[in-house]
Amino acid sequence: MVERTPLLNVLTHAILVVGLLMLMLPLWIVFVASTHDFRTVNTVPMPLWPGAHMVENYVTTWNQSQFGPKMLNSLIMAVGVTTGKIVLAALSAYSIVYFRYRLRMVFFWLIFITLMLPLEVRIVPTYAVAANALRPFQEIINLLGLSALTDLLFGVRIVLPEAQLLNSYAGLILPLIATATGTFLYRQFFLTVPEELLEAAKMDGTGPLRFFWDILLPLSKANMAALATIMFVYSWNQYLWPLLVVTDPAYGTAVMQLQRIVPGPLFGEPPRWHVAMAGTLMVMLPPLLVVVFMQRWFVRGLINQDK
Amino acid sequence: MLKKRMIGAAVAAVATFCTMVPDAVAQQRQRFEYWYGLTGQLGEVMADHCRRFNESQTRFEAVCVGQGGYDRAEQNTIAAYRARQHPTVVQIYDAGTVNFMLSGVTYNAVNFARDFNMRINWSDYFPGVASYYATSRGEMWSFPYNSSTAMLYWNRQAFASIGRTAAPATWQELERDMRALKAAGHACPMAIDFDAWQFEQLSAIHNQPIATRDNGYGGLNAELLINRGFLPMHITNMRRWLDEGLMRIQTAQTGKTIVQAFADSSCALAITSIANHGVVSATQSEGMQWGVAMLPVYEGTSRTNSLVGGASLWVLQGKSRGEYEGAAAFLDWIATPAEVQWMPTVTGYIPITTPAFQQMMAGGFYNQARYAGREISIQSLTFTPPTANSRGIRLGNYTSIRSEIQSELQAAFTGQKSVQQALDDATARGNQILRRFEQTMRGRELP
Amino acid sequence: MSGKRVTFDRHWLALLLILPQMLLVFVFFYWPTGEALFWAFTLEPPFGGDMQWVGWQNFLTVMEDPLYWNSVQRSVVFALSSTAIAMGIGMLLALFVDRELPGYRGFRFVFFWPYAVAAPAVGLAFRFIFAPDAGFVSAINQWFPGLWNPALDGVDAMILITLANAWSMVAYNFIFFLAGLQSIPRSLVEAGAMDGSGVLRRMRDIQLPLIAPTVFFLIVINITDSFVNSFGIVDITTGGGPARATDLMVFKIYSDGFKGKDYSLAAAQSIILMGLVVVLTFFQFKYVERRVHYT
Repeated sequence: MVERTPLLNVLTHAILVVGLLMLMLPLWIVFVASTHDFRTVNTVPMPLWPGAHMVENYVTTWNQSQFGPKMLNSLIMAVGVTTGKIVLAALSAYSIVYFRYRLRMVFFWLIFITLMLPLEVRIVPTYAVAANALRPFQEIINLLGLSALTDLLFGVRIVLPEAQLLNSYAGLILPLIATATGTFLYRQFFLTVPEELLEAAKMDGTGPLRFFWDILLPLSKANMAALATIMFVYSWNQYLWPLLVVTDPAYGTAVMQLQRIVPGPLFGEPPRWHVAMAGTLMVMLPPLLVVVFMQRWFVRGLINQDK
Repeated sequence: MLKKRMIGAAVAAVATFCTMVPDAVAQQRQRFEYWYGLTGQLGEVMADHCRRFNESQTRFEAVCVGQGGYDRAEQNTIAAYRARQHPTVVQIYDAGTVNFMLSGVTYNAVNFARDFNMRINWSDYFPGVASYYATSRGEMWSFPYNSSTAMLYWNRQAFASIGRTAAPATWQELERDMRALKAAGHACPMAIDFDAWQFEQLSAIHNQPIATRDNGYGGLNAELLINRGFLPMHITNMRRWLDEGLMRIQTAQTGKTIVQAFADSSCALAITSIANHGVVSATQSEGMQWGVAMLPVYEGTSRTNSLVGGASLWVLQGKSRGEYEGAAAFLDWIATPAEVQWMPTVTGYIPITTPAFQQMMAGGFYNQARYAGREISIQSLTFTPPTANSRGIRLGNYTSIRSEIQSELQAAFTGQKSVQQALDDATARGNQILRRFEQTMRGRELP
Repeated sequence: MSGKRVTFDRHWLALLLILPQMLLVFVFFYWPTGEALFWAFTLEPPFGGDMQWVGWQNFLTVMEDPLYWNSVQRSVVFALSSTAIAMGIGMLLALFVDRELPGYRGFRFVFFWPYAVAAPAVGLAFRFIFAPDAGFVSAINQWFPGLWNPALDGVDAMILITLANAWSMVAYNFIFFLAGLQSIPRSLVEAGAMDGSGVLRRMRDIQLPLIAPTVFFLIVINITDSFVNSFGIVDITTGGGPARATDLMVFKIYSDGFKGKDYSLAAAQSIILMGLVVVLTFFQFKYVERRVHYT
């Protein structure tokens, strides 16, 4: 920055250091817990410094739980959800912000409301839909009498094929794309883009798609990076939905596997923390790497579009 | 995105192919799905049991999937059933028994065993175990699998320091021992928590009901009785002992559960499941001497049998004949004496059939230091033939009721309410839950 | 509601653009939700089968329950305090990292991490740190016995879950605040400096107003999230206790529906929860967005 403000700089550093300690303490504890053996990790209070069993714990956890293939599944799922979300949300927000049609706000609220109902509540019927994703359409066709109509006219009923999404990547990915964070974020951002840009583009004869691709998207890079980071982590850390939709271990995700290592309170058994925390850290690593990688998009200079 | 998906799919395909080749032989096996609820180390035991079944024969393959908890196992089974994607066999905990009995979707054990010529001998099961999973007419509808009961864990060294060599047999003795321990310098004579299970057990051994209609066996219109008679008296005592520092609350939220507090010698007594016997052995402090004993009764009461806890295996309708044959083979196999004996060697669960138990006694299993004392759990479970009050509990939506009791006890033990008030409130709310359940199940009868 | 002055005309294109998301939202949200919410008006047995229509009975059961209002109150307190803390700290950290003093890269690098940790792990770590017997905070109890005990004291338990939730959300907010701050053109801030405004004044007068859209976005997301997604934290740390002190609405829904298998009661509560969040959000759009200048 341009000026010297030594006192404020010291204060800034102090605040940042305190922030660092606050945010890192839980992670430090997770790390320390993963380096002790069963007995030590269950002594109360647990020692604050790492123990000697780090390699042993990590290797055991990795092998026992077959984290390799599970991580791959998690990766596929997270990449799928992230890409899907970024693309679809951009398109939808663009539609809502840059076009004026009557249903515009209706669509926005319809999408937005999806944030307001916890997954736990609708998980049972969502599972039924995942078992046959075309069933809603089939029911509607039946309800509207279309099926009966074609039966009458052509002697054949409309029967949609069963789209079974259980135990598949599609089943893991698609239901997670159907939420609103991305659309809302893009909407906020698009609203800040000056009107002059669009006016100039229209005067140049630029069509909506070209405007979107050449002008709007490049401006959105920082937001897209933020959204991508958040969505990747969000979908990577999902455990409730994957646990239900996937019963075939071949499609199990890393976090699902982690759930299996940590026993529930019902059994009175002390959690095998050393293994559970080692697993937690391993599972945490890929999203962390993504976050690290995405950082460069937050660097000022890459987005020096003077508006 | 398409490219990434294609790469992802290609990798998955290659991975699948690589596992397919050695499985080519396995492909010929009849597969069926079995969902279990245990997690952690016990979950691994489940998976292990499954694997051993697959290795013991070549005709069937059990595909065993852990569900991450008993609650989840029940929930996921329901969701799956609604989508007709359910497993053939599922492990459901004791509190889920009523839901399954009334569901109309189960292939009841007696019928299943008969239809598929299973070798099971129903009378082999301990009566205390069988009665929990049987109808009011005595027909068993699920297969008992992992069973436990409540025991008193006591620290021999602490008791030696007050000159006692046996665990207290009555609550009066226990109170006296706690005072002695406290006077001798032990900060925590007994660890307690809010788990409702211990009160069910205590009521059972005192032959006291916790609900009308034989604890619910008689019908869905049962009402709770926990605010009358035995329980208010006992819990008021506990509150008094807590205030005097003779008992201490230990839960996961305080940092240590009662099992952990006992295992690291900080508390000298605890009431918990025999299933934790192995856990305590594995985590006990160096050189700790401890044992298990039957739950204490109040002086002047004659003891009745204690209740079984744990889970049982249910077979569900709507599967193919081949899958049922596989399930039958599996259920037969785990009921053989060899397998019934295997479970207690790797967990704290008890052998559930008389022949198996007798074999174990004869073989000196319980003479080994690691397992010493576990046979007392069988004694507790079979002390008397089950009475109307010690058959088990058959109340609808029981998980919620237990949770209400737990919340009210938390209020009572932290001084927010009197014990009687807390129990009255728990009873009122519990009855509301029961009436809702009854209304929801209108038209269905408890078998 | 805010909108663009200049827009495109091709309505059919607009519909086409929004179609993929609407399809997904319909199939995977509205259809299942419709079914789930239908249960609020019936008594649905867990496994299905014959159910009975009971109209408003479930809603009455819920609203007449004093414990339900307890959970509403807890949820509101939780949402407001957790949002305030998470946004305040997130903003502060972002503002200071944005100053780009030497070493800022390291801080930026590290502040992102907490968001990467899954909710169950966060809960476990916090339970561990704050447990009265075992945790590090329990050192306080050495000096002031009985001061801190989230296992037995309701207020302490609320503090615990608020802090745990705020911890994850600080990183989330930090990411978005930083992105917002970084898209403010440097020239604007430099112009302010040249006019003689100090750092703090620039923060207040230039940077904050310019990231108002982000602030609004985060308020809405934080509050909604603390109502709707707080289940994991409560489940692992306090389990709703002690004596229902941390029995948040979504936790109660989960306990009744998921554990208790009373789908109808859970559905009725969910409709009320959704209604509450919709109303809250609507108010935020109407009254808070008013102060947000987009261009």
